[in-house]
Amino acid sequence: MSDNLDENIASLFQRMLPLLSSMFFLFLSYLPLDLSYLNNIRPVALLVCVYYWLLHRPDLFNLLSVYFLGLLADIVSSAPFGSNVFALLLLYVLVINTSRFFNAKPFVVTWYGFALLSFVTMISRWLIVSIYYSQFLPLTMVLFSVLATIAAYPLVSLALAYVQNSLMQGEE
Amino acid sequence: MKRRRSLFIHLSHIRLLAQKFALVILFLSAFVLMLVNKTDTILIEKTSSVATDVVTPMIDVLVIPAKILAQVYDYFHDLKQVREDNLKLKEENRQLNLLYERARALEIENKLLSGLLNFVVPPEAEYVTARVVAEEGDAFSHSLIAYIGNKDVTRGQIAISDKGVVGRVDKVSNVYAKILLITDINSRIPVMVEKTRVRGIVAGDNTMFPKLVFTPLGAELNVGDRVVTSGVSGVFPAGLPVGKVVGVSKYEIKIKPFTNLEELEYVKLVSYNLDDMFSAEEQGKEDE
Repeated sequence: MSDNLDENIASLFQRMLPLLSSMFFLFLSYLPLDLSYLNNIRPVALLVCVYYWLLHRPDLFNLLSVYFLGLLADIVSSAPFGSNVFALLLLYVLVINTSRFFNAKPFVVTWYGFALLSFVTMISRWLIVSIYYSQFLPLTMVLFSVLATIAAYPLVSLALAYVQNSLMQGEE
Repeated sequence: MKRRRSLFIHLSHIRLLAQKFALVILFLSAFVLMLVNKTDTILIEKTSSVATDVVTPMIDVLVIPAKILAQVYDYFHDLKQVREDNLKLKEENRQLNLLYERARALEIENKLLSGLLNFVVPPEAEYVTARVVAEEGDAFSHSLIAYIGNKDVTRGQIAISDKGVVGRVDKVSNVYAKILLITDINSRIPVMVEKTRVRGIVAGDNTMFPKLVFTPLGAELNVGDRVVTSGVSGVFPAGLPVGKVVGVSKYEIKIKPFTNLEELEYVKLVSYNLDDMFSAEEQGKEDE
């Protein structure tokens, strides 16, 4: 009985790992760092997490997970409330509709897919927040942030692949 | 058999429709959240405060190991410079002692002259220091979360560092306070040019260099001019250093903040006890 309960808890924890790892990267991206100018073009690790898990484990990472992460990001951030939710939902729609082109393909293709979709997501967010403030936000910073996010993709996805292959073993 | 198949198709259709419907609903909710946020209601502010209290400790937990790693790196990095810094600090200390004596003499002189003119002395400022827990500085917002609750700070209080103005308290929860940096698009701080006393507003635009706006036409502004708070709104003390002019063009004047806003570990929050307009504003909202 006790073994069964332990197994159930372990299984639940493993099934929640995609969400928990995304939360970890979300909080990590708000840590105060002593990195003068680089601080303004931090990679948006949450986009990598959402893309990775939707592509690799859509059964454990669904629409509600995406919405929940968007809300969390909005709580921490001072950007207009709802703009992170909007961006992540948009990424969800994009990934769901294009996953057949990028899933189970060589890493470079997946990376290229991420570059494309994260660019569209960030530009759309930039546009919607610019409309919100009725003035254009600095586009250069958005572009640098996109580049930083694309550059961070291999590292973050490697960490997520470790979570998937080592910590989620036997979950299925 | 045929009936079961049609039932199966029917159910899968319903599921697909429900999924699409859920997506539309969630998208709509994102827009509604943005609209509600735009109206700046008490409801959103209170909900957000409670949520911040719940979420921010999770970042706070990560700060400690990150800080330790950074400190270990800094320790070895700084060892090389200790001797050089020591000599520099001794010289700086000598000069500061001289300045201190001069400042004391000026303070006494100022008190005497103020007494002669019946000058009403503004209330003394009170300071509290808070640790920075989280920071954000992208194209969408520039802010900090500091570990200080509503018992010690109120909305609207100014945040400073050892070099100058950092920003203003935007939201306060029980344990944490969100500070809007002077570079944020929502930040407006009444300032004046120290030398010429030309007044204006430092307005953030989410870049690293905020703009100086609402300056009088034909005002003399030069690159390198120091900009300090004017104290016009009655919320900020006058004379706090904000930044210096780094660019003057036909269309805009750019300011570089004195404080490196990306390297803040602690911030000081100033309570000036003048017209507490934000508290009054909040009181008004609650009465409604």
